[in-house]
Amino acid sequence: MTPLEKIKKKRAESVNRILSKGYLSTTRVYVGMATCEIAAGSGDVMQVFREAIDKGEIKDVYLSQKGCAGRCNLEPTVEVVAAGKNPIKYGKVTAQRAREIITRHIQNGEVITDWIID
Amino acid sequence: MRTMKDYIITICNGTTCLNNGVRLLHDILEAQLEKAGLTDRVKINISGCLGMCNKGPILIVYPGYTIYGNVQKEDVAEIIEEHVLKNRPVARLAIQEDHLFNRFFRIFGDTQFFGKQLRIALRNCGIIDPENIDDYIALRGYEALAKVLTEMSSQEVIDEIKKSGLRGRGGGGFPAGTKWQFTANQPGDCKYVICNADEGDPGAFMDRSAIEGDPHTILEGMAIGGYAIGAKKGIIYIRAEYPLAVQRLRKAIEDARAHNLLGDNILGSDFCFDIEIRLGAGAFVCGEETALIRSIEGHRGTPRPRPPYPSVSGLFGKPTLINNVETWANVPVIILDGGNWFSTVGTENSKGTKVFALAGKVRNTGLIEVPMGTTLREIIYGVGGGLPDNKELKAIQTGGPSGGCLPAEYLDTPIDYESLAKAGSIMGSGGMIVIDEDSCMVDIAKFFLEFTQDESCGKCTPCREGTKRMFEILTRITEGKGQAGDIEKLERLGNMTKKASLCGLGQSAPNPVLSTIRNFRHEYEEHIHQKKCRAGVCTALLVYTILDKCVGCGACKRVCPVDAITGDKKTMHRIDPDKCIRCGMCMTKCKFEAITRA
Repeated sequence: MTPLEKIKKKRAESVNRILSKGYLSTTRVYVGMATCEIAAGSGDVMQVFREAIDKGEIKDVYLSQKGCAGRCNLEPTVEVVAAGKNPIKYGKVTAQRAREIITRHIQNGEVITDWIID
Repeated sequence: MRTMKDYIITICNGTTCLNNGVRLLHDILEAQLEKAGLTDRVKINISGCLGMCNKGPILIVYPGYTIYGNVQKEDVAEIIEEHVLKNRPVARLAIQEDHLFNRFFRIFGDTQFFGKQLRIALRNCGIIDPENIDDYIALRGYEALAKVLTEMSSQEVIDEIKKSGLRGRGGGGFPAGTKWQFTANQPGDCKYVICNADEGDPGAFMDRSAIEGDPHTILEGMAIGGYAIGAKKGIIYIRAEYPLAVQRLRKAIEDARAHNLLGDNILGSDFCFDIEIRLGAGAFVCGEETALIRSIEGHRGTPRPRPPYPSVSGLFGKPTLINNVETWANVPVIILDGGNWFSTVGTENSKGTKVFALAGKVRNTGLIEVPMGTTLREIIYGVGGGLPDNKELKAIQTGGPSGGCLPAEYLDTPIDYESLAKAGSIMGSGGMIVIDEDSCMVDIAKFFLEFTQDESCGKCTPCREGTKRMFEILTRITEGKGQAGDIEKLERLGNMTKKASLCGLGQSAPNPVLSTIRNFRHEYEEHIHQKKCRAGVCTALLVYTILDKCVGCGACKRVCPVDAITGDKKTMHRIDPDKCIRCGMCMTKCKFEAITRA
């Protein structure tokens, strides 16, 4: 097998592993976790989402950390991506805002327009 | 309150698309949306070059990330009719583009801030989990390495890099392909590859973000470099002040080894390559390649004269290929999307994109990546959203402590190595600080000199003494003790330090002083002769006075921390200039605007 064939096999395996973690969930949530984001408080935000999933408050959600997308003055940032919809990007997300994103956006489908980055 | 739009149409406004009449397309689209009463439902977003120049004009419709290529004015009606009204993408116009950077635009291409950018080096930053190798591999990660190992000879890899026109992103701008060729041409089978992640410019964080957001791309780039020059060993030199970046790199290296992407017989080939991390203690001079190599060898980080260049005699005297983080991050893209594609982005002599840490007095501070040739105006007013509070732009500082300050006249300078140098600044590694009317240029020069005189390693006299003396003179000027002839002295010292210093630190350290003297000489003159700081930054030069509209309320007197204000109730107060420490508290407390600062 050539290296190219090997990496293609690895990619299929990687994709499967990501899928098995629930990538195809109705909603994917990304929380910025670079040094800058963590300094702005994204650790707490991550924890809010993590706990909500663990407690079963939100179901069918794929949660992932991500690097810095470059919006320094709006950090911490959170993206809520749902299939067939525009990806929603929230800025200056605190633990409190994260809880509201869970109840208003993820549970009830309301986009909180005042906090979005556009 | 904002309303959410159902569709967002991003229109490429790159140079090629503009030449292909994209403006007209924009006008037609706008007019037809208006006519159909759809302006509430559809938002139009303008982007910079989307890297698909040969298929322009380009429109992208979100959600769904449908790319339409070669769109003609008669096609607009069909896109509105079919896609917007019936949610049926127009298959006839849709194109499939699987460039690596596309992934970023899937999530971020519909916003104004991100849309102006083209992300090649930072293509995965902010969209993947940096600690999960699966996320990287799923986005064609390590495919470039596999491709190189399967079907390219070392020379073909080097030729591809040469064809791309990639130049070193650490600041020097040396053509990467040429450097790779030099190192590959050296005899011997013990060679090294180094990634310079010793980022030390104040206010710059490009490398940290790149590593924290996507560590594997650096590893992949280095492995490709190792294959091209015949090295088995790579070293990442990174400062210990970046603990999270180091931790993510460590994890990335372990994961890559576990997947047989580093180590012996990578992916079953004959190629063996491994990477280790060396932590720097945070000395600015260690960003200079020879000092960095000394530091890895276990010595004190001091530079040495070149030649011999590291490509001939580098780490432990062996041929060494040393490139910066951003340069390495571009390599996998060049291999997969091709040097030809890469060279379509950017200008004649500066290809690809550049990452900048946009900071200072600008609305959207952040990390941005724009095609070379983007003007300073497009960055500051387009991506950066302009200055807050409608302040006047005074200068743009590029290149950190090695760069210069360009006044507002240079706003239309395109960003590329030559244009910035011609304007009197440098590209540097990517710091960009926006300065408004509230900043004092002498103080800014002093700030950078304070940094460089502190970071000068002391090995050569011009840098050690030159930076120190310049800093002393600048301090004197800002304290109101400037003397006639100081400006000329600074110029003479600066030029001497520039010419006679051993390494890049000293050769570029006078740039902030010389460029501010060149462009803002009047501010220096005011400080020295009139003892005046127009921005009100140099506190020693400020004089606070109480005007006769003072009603004698006593608010200023109560707040003054040094009891410099006297006066009876309901009579005009006065400030004793000898006691006053120029803290400005009185001015902020006065409700009658009866205190002035000059």
